[in-house]
Formats: sequence, structure tokens, C-alpha cells
Amino acid sequence: MSETQPLRPTSVAEVQEAVRAYPRLRARGGGSKPALSTPQNGQTLLEMGGLRGVVEYDPSEYVVVARAGTPLAEVAALLAQHGQYLPFDPPFLAQGATLGGTVAAGLSGPMRQRYGGVRDFILGVELVDGEGRRIRGGGKVVKNAAGFDLPKLMVGSLGRLGLLVELAFKVFPAPKATCTLEVAFPRLEEALETLYRLAGSPIELYALDLVPPATLVLRLGGLSEALPARLERLQSFLGQPGQLREGEAEVAYWQGLNDLGHLGAGALVKVALTARRIPALERVLGPAPRRYLCAGNLLYLAWEGKLEELDALLKAQGLSGLVLRGTAPQPQIGIDLAQVFARKVAAALDPQGRLA
Amino acid sequence: MNPALSELQGLFPPGRLLTRPGELAPYASDALTAFRAQPLAVVLPESHEEVVEAVRWCVRHRIPYVARGSGTSLSGGSLPVEGGLVIGLNRMNRLLRLDPKERLAVVEPGFINLQVSQAAAPYGLYYAPDPSSQPVSTIGGNLAFNSGGAHCLKYGMTSNHVLAARVVLPDGQTVVLGSESLENTGPDWLGLFVGSEGLLGIVTEITLRLLPKPEAYHTVLAAYDALEKAGQAVAAVVASGLLPGAMEIMDALAIEAAEAAVQAGYPREARALLIVELEGEAPQVEAEARYLEEVIRQSGAYEVRVAQSQEERLKIWRGRKAAFSAVGRLSPDYLVQDGVVPRSKLGQALAEIENLSARYGLRVANVFHAGDGNLHPLILYNGRVAGELERAEALAGEILQLCVRLGGSITGEHGVGMEKKAYMPSMFTPEDLEAMQRIRQALDPLELANRGKMFPGDHPPHRPPSGPHPLEKAGVIARE
Amino acid sequence: MQHKIDSEKLGPQGEIMAHAIEACVHCGFCLPACPTYQVLGEEMDSPRGRIFLMKEVLEGSLAPEEAQPYLDKCLGCLGCVTACPSGVPYGELIGTYRGFSEPKRHRSPFQRLFRLALQETLPYPSRFRAAARLGQFAKWMKPLLPAPLKAPLELLPERLPQSEPLPEVVPAEGPRRARVALLAGCAQQVLQPGFNRATLRVLAHNGVEVVVPRGQGCCGALALHTGERARALKLARANLQAFAGDFDAILTNAAGCGSGLKEYPLLFRGQPEEAQAKALAAKVKDVSVFLVELGLKEVPPLPKPLKVAYHDACHLAHAQGVRSEPRQLLKSIPGVALLEIPEGELCCGSAGTYNLEQPALAATLGERKARHILATGAELVVTGNIGCFTQIETHLRRLGRPLPVLHTVELLERAYFG
Repeated sequence: MSETQPLRPTSVAEVQEAVRAYPRLRARGGGSKPALSTPQNGQTLLEMGGLRGVVEYDPSEYVVVARAGTPLAEVAALLAQHGQYLPFDPPFLAQGATLGGTVAAGLSGPMRQRYGGVRDFILGVELVDGEGRRIRGGGKVVKNAAGFDLPKLMVGSLGRLGLLVELAFKVFPAPKATCTLEVAFPRLEEALETLYRLAGSPIELYALDLVPPATLVLRLGGLSEALPARLERLQSFLGQPGQLREGEAEVAYWQGLNDLGHLGAGALVKVALTARRIPALERVLGPAPRRYLCAGNLLYLAWEGKLEELDALLKAQGLSGLVLRGTAPQPQIGIDLAQVFARKVAAALDPQGRLA
Repeated sequence: MNPALSELQGLFPPGRLLTRPGELAPYASDALTAFRAQPLAVVLPESHEEVVEAVRWCVRHRIPYVARGSGTSLSGGSLPVEGGLVIGLNRMNRLLRLDPKERLAVVEPGFINLQVSQAAAPYGLYYAPDPSSQPVSTIGGNLAFNSGGAHCLKYGMTSNHVLAARVVLPDGQTVVLGSESLENTGPDWLGLFVGSEGLLGIVTEITLRLLPKPEAYHTVLAAYDALEKAGQAVAAVVASGLLPGAMEIMDALAIEAAEAAVQAGYPREARALLIVELEGEAPQVEAEARYLEEVIRQSGAYEVRVAQSQEERLKIWRGRKAAFSAVGRLSPDYLVQDGVVPRSKLGQALAEIENLSARYGLRVANVFHAGDGNLHPLILYNGRVAGELERAEALAGEILQLCVRLGGSITGEHGVGMEKKAYMPSMFTPEDLEAMQRIRQALDPLELANRGKMFPGDHPPHRPPSGPHPLEKAGVIARE
Repeated sequence: MQHKIDSEKLGPQGEIMAHAIEACVHCGFCLPACPTYQVLGEEMDSPRGRIFLMKEVLEGSLAPEEAQPYLDKCLGCLGCVTACPSGVPYGELIGTYRGFSEPKRHRSPFQRLFRLALQETLPYPSRFRAAARLGQFAKWMKPLLPAPLKAPLELLPERLPQSEPLPEVVPAEGPRRARVALLAGCAQQVLQPGFNRATLRVLAHNGVEVVVPRGQGCCGALALHTGERARALKLARANLQAFAGDFDAILTNAAGCGSGLKEYPLLFRGQPEEAQAKALAAKVKDVSVFLVELGLKEVPPLPKPLKVAYHDACHLAHAQGVRSEPRQLLKSIPGVALLEIPEGELCCGSAGTYNLEQPALAATLGERKARHILATGAELVVTGNIGCFTQIETHLRRLGRPLPVLHTVELLERAYFG
């Protein structure tokens, strides 16, 4: 069955109509994660870019509320004007990634190391479920315990539990100054040992990345008057001065990583893991361009070969992956995470499988 | 003994199946003493399998159940269902594994919150969520209510520190939600479960995230002659771009109670005390402290103290942490509320609460997490004076209404439980509530798990009749 | 907590209990502090649960027998009082309740006999000595005896020390700095006369004249804490008389006795002797507190350095708030390395005659305490109470590690006199 014409709602009511009118739907924000937003099997494409705009922003409240189709770049620019930022550091700003798409994919970036990922900053959500019902969960204040935590559920929901229309986030003051240290080690074991030592120490990093084979990239942030002393302590902790980046070049370095272009043009995959899995994984990933973020909790890699191979490989390692770009029957690869809780909740939100 | 109970006898030995009146009475309520309900029986499992058996028994006989940790819930979360089963998890209280290298701890649900940090301390690690009940409350209970504490603004609540949980679902099936990784590749099922107040299942094993202990703390106690000044000081701290680990305010009544309880040495005549705590790497904290000093100086505090040692720091906190229970010295009864307002509205909220207190003729002590706008007004009353409980509840209702009106929430961290279910419609539309009910019913079609909690409807058990609620009278809500 | 207790019907004792119950806000902070909750893990055996049960009984909605087993298991250690943020006077509540409920209570003939035996021997040194000698004789019979009789036999020492009659007055050495009266205690005169001897010597050496008033007797704490109100009043009246003189302080060297004497105002509430009781209680001090306030004459060092674990008796720490003074005394002995016992706030299980009435629980707690002590690596254990002394000694011995145990003043005695 061929794909039908894409829809482009500009209001929540139109989203609801679309859900009721079409048997199968796939939402798309900026299209930066094509494996998640390309319609298949007769799905009608729902372009969410028409639901955009910041609804509320009070810097003194640390809260921003925006429609789901708002580009991340727009939100980030607004926050920057007030010295604030999105602490979960989502990727694909320049590629037009939207808030909704980022939440649906559950994507964070290197700076998640400091304060947390998407799930740690989402406060409230408005969505349209699989029956076209408009539902709100959470709220607009940084602390709220009323009702089920639907906002967290939506993180990583891939548009399959509901179509996001409005989101509220907690935001933080951006670090006043930053600097980056790149440290090369002779072997992976030593790099990992240092990674562990850093992660268990009181040293507060905005990024703790591992670039295979054995290079750590660390970012410090905070008040500029304290940075030199902290940098010196970090260097002596590491036992070597490393290669320092500062100023505009430092900012540009991290901005350059935001589009994950440094991983090349292969299929782009996110893997969730912990640092202790890295040695085994490193032995089997071959030349695939990759970077481990957040003390080894997050891996982005590019896969040149067939995704079935990566799927089998991840299964053998006991890990799960999410295909962001590339062709796969299902974007979720690796071990099967299906379980009864998931099935029942999904059935409650989308009984007819319109969004599946 | 009825056949259902005899069957339960086959599953639990006599010391761990409680049925006698003297055994059941103490389980009839938790820290919210305005509510009581007599359970049919209490079981005290010691293993995951026993929890499964208990739940399956409930399903077989269609008997509702409530899981219970230390019973410190302030919203009636561990209040039994009248005639239902109480599944007490406090005997499942072991630390199963502490992995300092991977920075995680695996515990049973009855393990006490504070004990996690105590176990992690030798490795320079700690468990961040610190509700004031932490010496008593269990991890299982913390998880059910997504417990907060004073250090939430910077590092989040329980949900941000739980990595994985093994759950017994209301139908007796077992699932594992989450993983050791901080990241997910699919929906955050565990995130939905945490804070679901016992309605979606019982945890039997929890993996917690441990953080490195901050290198340095800088704890400041500032005394003000007016509550609004303290509120404004908080706004100024935030506006300066600082992100403190904690910011707490106590008003005059709360100060009086706390001093009586723990003799923390607070400035006695203060109308408000502000505690601001910076934490982090020493050079950063030192630099931040200079900014903080300036902000506090300009805020009009008449006395400022900086903790010079760990002991002094703990002393400053001791009073704050004992404040709730300490008001028991000022009044035979109290109701503690847990509203949230946007931080910029804090001053306004406090002024209005003061007016309400005068209007209702009841004292209100205020303690709150100023950093995230989470208020805890403690309404003092004497239940033996006719009508006072009802007035206290009416006042509580008005305060919650106020919070919602100012754009906040009816509960920041204590959860809805029994106490606030009537207010859910003021925060959520009927469609929102239906959606949550659908999720609940998908997992628990018989509504056995914590029946009667969180969602409006059903009269609370054994409450003295108090007439229609003010919101009902105003036609804002209807109790079905 | 709200309650429906008709305190008028219950008399002045009713007021005391109702007030305590009112103060409780059911917050549960007492649970981690309660040894029986730690061991048994059920709400009925926690202070919060017990307060609730007493409330239910006093309101008439629960039969007293239903609550009894759990109230009986309360140690009366007052660990909960230390932990309670609301200031619930739990000690007053449980003591008053036991006095109130005891006359109405049904006990088996054996139980009554056992209790009578305890009440009629322990408080009277000469009777206790005779009974103890008999007990030692009967030790070989232990395997044949029913369980409740085993416990007392097990707690008796291998050898009973020689009895040491106490002088009426001990003069101060050098210029007199103070004049005090000493409560000699009851059980400890038989089991450890060395405590009183050391107390007298250390005080005299520090310039204190000590009077041991004749006509004094057991402080009555045992009777008061087990519900024998009439007996407690009788014993207390004798002491009101005996200690009526002009003293700078009335000293005790047993935690339980010091706390017992300080309870006289509560015991005599509403009675003609109330004012006298208050006057007496105001003068009562533990010997460690008195010595710290007085200021010790310089203490010579011990022959060799010693690792000492100090055990807080519940009736010093929780009941009287005395924690730092004994430690200060110990630290003033050069050569002492003071060690803190893990779970130091938790009762050792002695709790008056608890280890006779609830032997299984007491043994669990005693072993727990002994293991914690051994884990510190201490070479000596010091404590300020005869009950704790006996319990700790017994359980260290049972674990095969019989470390020496001394009273605080005995270590001072050693330092001063060798």
C-alpha cells in the first residue's frame, strides 16, 4: 500500500482529528532521525513542525514550556539570551531537531554528564493518545508529584504511546566558563581505569567522553575565577597535562560534535550501556566510528555493514540499541525489551495500534 | 477463620501473618493520623516469592491490598484498605550488593533510605534523595512516592536515582523495569512506575544510583525579620545564576518547634530563617560563596552564620529535618500540606497563607524547599476542640487551591495518597484522569492495589463526617 | 495524635498517659531507635505501635490482653525518647500504664511467684545474697529447670564477691570541696561491691566527703518499671527520709538508680510528698556528671596504653541525657584510647530485669552488643550500670571472648591507685 499524503496540523485539535481519521500514523519533527520518522507500511506522515513556538518562559522559574514542533535551536537560542541552557544537551540542533522528536527518541548529548539526561529535565507533557484523546501529565513546576509520571514515560516512546504536542522542561543556568581537556592513553584499560576514577571522584565534569581506542575528553565548567585551579587539580589527578582547548575554539569543538557528523555517513545507532561493557564491545565493533559519552552510559556509533549484524552483535553482548538513521525492520535492535508491563501500558494508550 | 485466611496461613508462618486485633491496630494508619482503616490481616514477607504469593492470594480472593514500608507517608499512602491485606515489606531489609566502582547499590524494599548513604560512605559515595523521613523511611516507600527532600533542585528526586526495579505486578507477574544504564533505548517504563503510589505494583529489588560525595559544602543560615524578605532572598540567589544544592526556609513557629526539639541554636527572634547550601568542588564553592555572601548581604538579613565545620553544618540541618514532627510540641494535632508554587510567587503565597491563617484562627507553621517552590504549611489544630479539624481541613483546602491558582501543584513530593485525591480534578481534566485510570486498569483491572487512593471517588474510611468540602460547596469539584 | 481517652475516669495517672499520647504525631522516627523493632520487625513492637495500642486500650476499644504481649516486650530503654522530635514522654507513659494495668492483669501462679520472688529479693542485698548463693549451688540443676528459671542462673557470676560493708561517712582527702550522699544501690552491692568501693575512693581522693545514709534502700525503679506501684512508693518513701539531709548532691553510680530517683516527682504526682520528691530529684546526679563538674584531680597515666570501649547505659544516655561526661572522664586518663561501639544507642538487653522476663530477646540483643564490642578491637569495656555490666560480661563470655568489664569509676580507681 503506498504512503498517503503527509498531514501538517497546526493545532492540537487537528492532531486529534488526524489520529481519529487515519488508521496508522507516524509523526515527524525535523526529520533528523529518519529511522524513527519515516512512514512505513501505509502509515500516514504527520508533520509536527506546524505546532511550534515557546508558550511560556520565565528564567527565574527555570522552566520553559513550548510546543512539541519547536526546533531545539530556537529554544536553545532563547535560553542562551538569559544565560540558561538545556542541560541534557540534545543532538541535531542544526539539523532541525524538534523538542518533541528529541523527547520521543530520548536523545541526550555529552553534557548530560553534569546534571542528567532528557528524562531528568522533562516536567510536563501534553499528548494525543492512540484514540485521539488529549491528555496532560505532570505540570509546569520543577517539583510535582501529582498523578502518574507520564512525562517520563514519553521519553524514548518513539511516538508510539502518544503524539507529543506540548512539553515543559526544567532548565539550568549555563556554565559561565568552560574548558576541555583531551587525554590520550596507551591502552583502553588505562583509559577506562581513569574514567572510573573520575566518575567516582568529587570532580564535576560537564562531559566525560571516551573516544576509542583510548582517549578521554573531559569538559570542566563553572565560574571563570575557579576554573584555572580546578583545571590544575584535574591535570594532576590525571597525572598528565593533556591537550587543552579554551575559548571560542573550545565552544566550536563541542558544537561540531552536536550533529554526530564525526561518526561519518553510516547507519547511526544509539546504544545504552555502562562502562563495564566497553572492553567486550570494543573487541567486536571493529572500525565502526563511535564515541562513548557520559562515563560510558551512552554510545553513538555509525554502522557501515548490514544492521542485522549489529543487531546480532548487540544481542550477544546483552545490549539494546536504537537506530536513528538507516534501514531496519524496527528501530529497536539488540536484546528484546518487551515485557508485560510495557504491553499493557501501550495497550491502554494506543489500543488499536495506530501509533505502533 | 474464613477459608481465604486459612489459605494464607499455609503461605506464611504464624509470626509473619498477623490477624489478632492487638496486631492489626498499629497498622491501621501511617503518619497521616486523620485516617484509619482496619485491615483483614498483615503479612510480613521475607522474599520476592512470598510477595508474589501474597499478591496472587489477593487476586484469587479479590481482596485489595496495600504495601507498606515504615508507614511514614504523610498522605495516607500506606493506609490499609478496610478489610484488605497489608503487605509489610519492612523485613525485606537487606543490602544485596554495593558496587562502589559501578556506583550502584542493590537493595530490598525495606532497606532504610539513610542506610544507603551510610553503606556508601566508606567509598566516598552517597545516595542523594534525602526526605526528612530518611532515618525511617524505606526505599520501597520512597520509590512509590518519588520522595524528594531538600536537595531536589540540583539533583532531582528518587526517580532520578533509581536505575532498575524488579516489580510484582498486581496480577502477580514479575517484571524488571530499567537497567543499570542511565540511558534507555525505549520508553521509560521505570519512570512511569516510580511515583505511582503503589497502584501499579510492588518492588522487591531496587538498583540505586550512587553519587560521589561533594568535596565541599558551604552552608549559610540567614535570619530575617520578615518572611517575604527570605522569599525575596531566594529569588535573588536564583537570579544571580547560582545553583545551590539546597535552599530552605522556616518561619517563626517552625523555628520555635525545631529549637524545642533539637536545640540547634537557631536565632530565636527570627521571623524567618533561610538555609542556603552550596556544594561541589572546593574552588568552585569558594568562588560561589563570594557571590552568595553578596546576595545575602543585600537581602537584608539581620544575622548571617556560615557553618565552619561538618558538625556545625549538621546542626543547622538537624532543626530543619526535625521541624515537621517537632510541631507536635506546639499542638496536639497538625495537618501538613505539600503544595508547590512557582518560585516567583513564593512571597505572594506566603502572605496569603498568613491571611488565611488569621481568618481561620489557626496557627500555620511554614517550612519549605524554597529552591523549588515546594511549600509545607503545617496547620496546627486541636482535634478535641469541636470543629477544629474541619476548620483545619478547610484551611488546607484553600491553601491547595491557592497553589493551583498561582500556577503550581497540589503536591510537590508527598504524593496524592488518600489525602489529596479530592483535589486531583483541580489539576487534571477528566480526560487526564481517565487516561491515568486506563493505565491503572490495564495493569490492575480489579483495582486491588491500593484501592481508593490517588483517584477521586470512594469515601475515605473511618473519617469523622465533616460535611462537603469547600471546593465541593463552591461547585468546583464533585465527589462523584 | 487524637484520642478519645476519658482521663477523668482514670485519675491523675490518666492525665499523664493522655498527655503523652497526644504528643505523638505517629511520624515513626522512633522505629530505627527501638531495639525490639530492629529485631522483630513488626509495628506492634515499636514505640509508635505501643503508643497506639495503649491508646486503644485506654479508649476501651481494645482488650488489654491483646496489647499485653507487645507492651511486655518493651525494654523501657527510652531510645525512642532520644529519637522523638515531638518530645513524647514515652517513659512516663509506659511506666504509668504498667502501674495502671498491673492490678487488672491475669498472671499464672508461676508468673506471680516469679515476679514476687524478684521483687522480694533483688532490692534487698542480704536476701539477694542468700538467693544468689542458692542459685550458684543450683547451677548444676540448670538443664532440668524450665526456661524462665534458666536465665537468672545464667546471669549469676562464677563466684560471688565478698560482701563489703559500707562506712557511714567517708571523709574527704585534703581540703573538702563538697559533701554528698551516695545511693548504694541494691543488686550491685551483691554482684559488684567494687563499684561502691571505687566510687568512695575516687570521690574521697578528689576532696569529697561522702555520706552513705542508713535507712536507704532500693530506689524502687524495678518496682516502678514493672507496674508494682505500691511497692515502689514504699521504697521511695524510705529514701525520701534517708536522703533528707543537707547535701551538695545525691550521687548514684548505677544508671537505672539515677534515673529511678529522678522519677520520684512523677511517682509522687498528686501525693503529699510531691514537693519533697521534687527537692530530692533536683539534687540527684550520676557520679560521672558530678566528677566532671567538680573537676578531677590530675589522673596518673595507666601502666600501659589501653583501648577502651565505652558502653552507654540506656538509663544514662536516653533517660538522663548523660553521654559526654563519662567519656570526658575516660579521656582524662592518659593512655586511654576511647572507642565508640557501633549501634551504641541500642540497648544491650539488660533493661532492669528484662533479661529475666524476656530471656530470648534479651539474649539476641546481648549477643548483638557483644559482637559490636568485639568488632571495635577494644581490650576493656567500661560502663556505668550494673545491669549492663552483667549482661555484657555474660555475652562476651558466651562468645568465648571474656574481655574485662569495669565501671567507669573502677577505671579511675585503677588509674589513681594502681
